[in-house]
Amino acid sequence: MLKFLVVDDSVTMRRIVLNSLRNLGYNEFVEANDGREAIEKLSGDSQINFIITDWNMPVVSGLELVKAIRGSEKLSKLPILMVTTRGIKEDIMEALQAKVNNYIIKPFTPAVLKEKIEQILATN
Amino acid sequence: MKTSENMNQLFNKLDELKILFGRGIKLIPIIQSLVDFMKEIVPFMDNITQSIAESNSKIPKATNQINKVTEATELATTEILDIVDMMSEHISNTAEMLNMIIDRDRKKSEILQKIKSAVPADKQIEKLIEEYEKLEKDKIALNTIGDSLQKIKNDAYNITMSLQVQDITSQQLSAVKHLIGSVQMRLISLNNNLNEASLENTELKLTGEHSFDANADYLKSGERQEMADSIISGHNSTSQKEIDKLFS
Repeated sequence: MLKFLVVDDSVTMRRIVLNSLRNLGYNEFVEANDGREAIEKLSGDSQINFIITDWNMPVVSGLELVKAIRGSEKLSKLPILMVTTRGIKEDIMEALQAKVNNYIIKPFTPAVLKEKIEQILATN
Repeated sequence: MKTSENMNQLFNKLDELKILFGRGIKLIPIIQSLVDFMKEIVPFMDNITQSIAESNSKIPKATNQINKVTEATELATTEILDIVDMMSEHISNTAEMLNMIIDRDRKKSEILQKIKSAVPADKQIEKLIEEYEKLEKDKIALNTIGDSLQKIKNDAYNITMSLQVQDITSQQLSAVKHLIGSVQMRLISLNNNLNEASLENTELKLTGEHSFDANADYLKSGERQEMADSIISGHNSTSQKEIDKLFS
């Protein structure tokens, strides 16, 4: 059973991602407004096994969140899908260097979200 | 003897002074034009500092307006999402009921077939069954309604997906706000250089952290995603050296 942590400072985007996940048949979610809140949620809920995060967020950014997760012994293996507006090559490379599992550029389509989740699940 | 030397020195100094006065007289028009220029430039400089102060005072209002636009669009987007969610729920309920009707009709057809084979040949009964079977053709209409409901549900979902534009525009507006903030900082610095008095209304502070993407764009072509996919798929074969090269 997959339990998603959806991290985005935009309420609209969180709702869109959650709607898309529901349409794909997933029903277990936790939400966070920024990277710091995400870390708090992760430390309090060991059931979370998939992270979908934005990049540009206040307090702790998505990239910092990815680095924090990869640097944590307990959480380092969690699959992370980054969903962001940042679409230049250098950004994608930076995210990959931080070890995100996959990368979606907003605006995304449901098909792309499905494809990326499945790709991550297949390789994990 | 000493007095004559002193007198000579005095005459020399007077000659030098005479030359200096001569040069001074030549400089007078230049100095005069410099004074005139200063007279002209002072009100001009006053105008500049006043303009800077006015522009600076307008900046908080501009940022406030941007904040209002962001808040209003977020509120409107939330309302649209609420309506679309409600619509989707109603559509799902209707589709569920429709499926129940279709299922019930299928069962009714099965029962009718059983009646047909059980009842002995009777022209009146056969005619009634025939009429009933004609009504059964409405099932096709029910299926069409079902397809239409599914299409409406998909369209509602697509509306939801299009609302990603709100996040993208709010990032663009944040970028504009940041830009306006930078301009204000420049104006403050310029004013401080021109005028000892500090500008008021300096509540807009620039934060070091950028929680927006200045290049955010609502592009649905998929080209950027394709580029991201190709980078990711090639990532496994990309060496650390190649990645490092991008950042050097």
